[in-house]
Amino acid sequence: MPVVCAFLVPGNPLPYLRPENPPWSGIATAYRAAGRALQAARPDTILLYSTQWMAVLDELWQTRPTLSDIHVDQNWYEYGDLEYTIHCDVALAEACVAGSKEIGISSKGVNYDKFPIDTGTIVANGFLNEGSRTPLTIGANNLYHSFDETMKLGEMAVKQADALNRRVAVVGVGALSGSIFRREIDIRSDGITSAEDDQWNRRMLAAMERGGRGELAALAQDFSKGAKAEMGFKQFAWIMGALGGEIRGARVHAYGATYGAGAAIVEFRC
Amino acid sequence: MAQGEIVAGFIAPHPPHLVYGENPPQNEPRSNGGWEQLRWAYEKVREAIDELKPDVLLVHSPHWNTELGHHFLAVPHLSGKSVDPIFPNLFRYNFELDVDVELAERACEEAKKIGLVSKLMRNPRFRVDYGTITSLHLARPQWDIPVVGLSANNSPYYLTTEEGFAEMDLLGKATRKAIQSLGRRAVLLCSATMSHRHFQEEPEVPEDMSQEHPYSMEMYQWDMRLIDLMRRGQLSEVHRLLPEFVEIAFAEFKAGSFTWMFAAMDYPELPGELLGFGNVIGTGNAVFKWDLTKHGLATPAHAWNGAANGAARPAAAGAAYPPAGNGSGAGALYGGPGPAIGAGSR
Repeated sequence: MPVVCAFLVPGNPLPYLRPENPPWSGIATAYRAAGRALQAARPDTILLYSTQWMAVLDELWQTRPTLSDIHVDQNWYEYGDLEYTIHCDVALAEACVAGSKEIGISSKGVNYDKFPIDTGTIVANGFLNEGSRTPLTIGANNLYHSFDETMKLGEMAVKQADALNRRVAVVGVGALSGSIFRREIDIRSDGITSAEDDQWNRRMLAAMERGGRGELAALAQDFSKGAKAEMGFKQFAWIMGALGGEIRGARVHAYGATYGAGAAIVEFRC
Repeated sequence: MAQGEIVAGFIAPHPPHLVYGENPPQNEPRSNGGWEQLRWAYEKVREAIDELKPDVLLVHSPHWNTELGHHFLAVPHLSGKSVDPIFPNLFRYNFELDVDVELAERACEEAKKIGLVSKLMRNPRFRVDYGTITSLHLARPQWDIPVVGLSANNSPYYLTTEEGFAEMDLLGKATRKAIQSLGRRAVLLCSATMSHRHFQEEPEVPEDMSQEHPYSMEMYQWDMRLIDLMRRGQLSEVHRLLPEFVEIAFAEFKAGSFTWMFAAMDYPELPGELLGFGNVIGTGNAVFKWDLTKHGLATPAHAWNGAANGAARPAAAGAAYPPAGNGSGAGALYGGPGPAIGAGSR
């Protein structure tokens, strides 16, 4: 199997833009540590799925060789701009377009100047891929796709990578519990919005550490409903699919909050 | 300063297909037309705006989705290239717009006073969402009228639909107060589609109209039910049905633009003029006009200069306003201070 490492990471830009803020500094530090682990595994490509790249028609894959711009987040614009350069593994992305169709999922490549790259992708690339040394293969979150379909996409992407002899890092980008504070807070006192969400997050993270197959996928879907996880927690489906439907244990590098939502840096055993 | 007025409200849906079908110079992709009936409907919107001569266009867009409060564009001039993340093959549009910052600031202030979390977006590199740009282009392609862009807070999705609409009701009332206090002559755009179930695949030629039809009979029937009520002026009934409609038809009205617009107009129980209806990749899109000047609820453009100079307002406007239905119908649905917006609220 060509997967050399796999990570679950948050897409909220606050720890990236304000890493010095105490509640976010642990997340930022762990994110960078995950980046060092990722680079040490020497992947040829990072297979990345961010819940914030939303598609409606087709499964979209980035096929533009280099994406470079300044992005301003639609929620957190007052905290600063997100400048990025991302290189894409176009051959693998094109193989994923074809591979998606083979598993019955209509698919397209996108190659457009000024295409709006989502915040989660930019943040993950910034933390995990310093200097954008490793190319990315980025698949969209089609809102109509289920958890199971997303698992199939992850599995298919790894098969395509294998066929191209790529060593891949798998990255799923998104929040745990999805509820944020709905009033302005002092960011120095950020925390999970409710004890219930916190319990759900801890239960899910503990289950990842233990590992599992079908029962873990089932728990992830219960978690998604119970904790209002971002986009059905499909970023985890992507990882599970890419790892062949089985999590063989994980290490939680950090767990905290981004304006009340759950955020964790998790490295999976490969 | 004379009191400002909302002179009209439009349902102005934003499928980028309509811009693509028109082939304006600002949009890169070229088409062989398509969706003519909706585009012709927008021709009537353009004519109406010419006639109404507003100072400002306000647009509430579901594609500027904000989690923490209600946001307002507050940069004097914004420009850039907007590429639709869903339909990049159809919409890559070079835009430039001027913002009525004073009005945005006042509306934000009024929203805060009424208990809403609200914010001013002052980052000059901000990318304006394609919903805002599409509705504005279709309504006023000259881009010569300042705008105020409002985000769609995710409260109808995060809370219940009804609780979310209660916030939009407050936002509409705050918007109205701001317009009145600054003496603006304003047109409102509700940038939203009705039934919102999409086909999941695009035809090879996007403008192949032989592929266009309602997503389902149920979606079509719901759209027509609501449109019929709007045409007959039974807006209280529309607002009563709205939560059910958004649930069944996945209607984009869920994002709150429709409720915001009607709250701002003080819920007139007036027949709207259906300018056109069409399906776009299966979704139901109605272009509707409520011209308040035609019902004595706002000053016609030809009389506006006098009003702005402090002269007596036309008797009809003062006498008939507000109409009998105002404040007692749909507005009452959202009575009270609005939902709690603290940490624990769900």
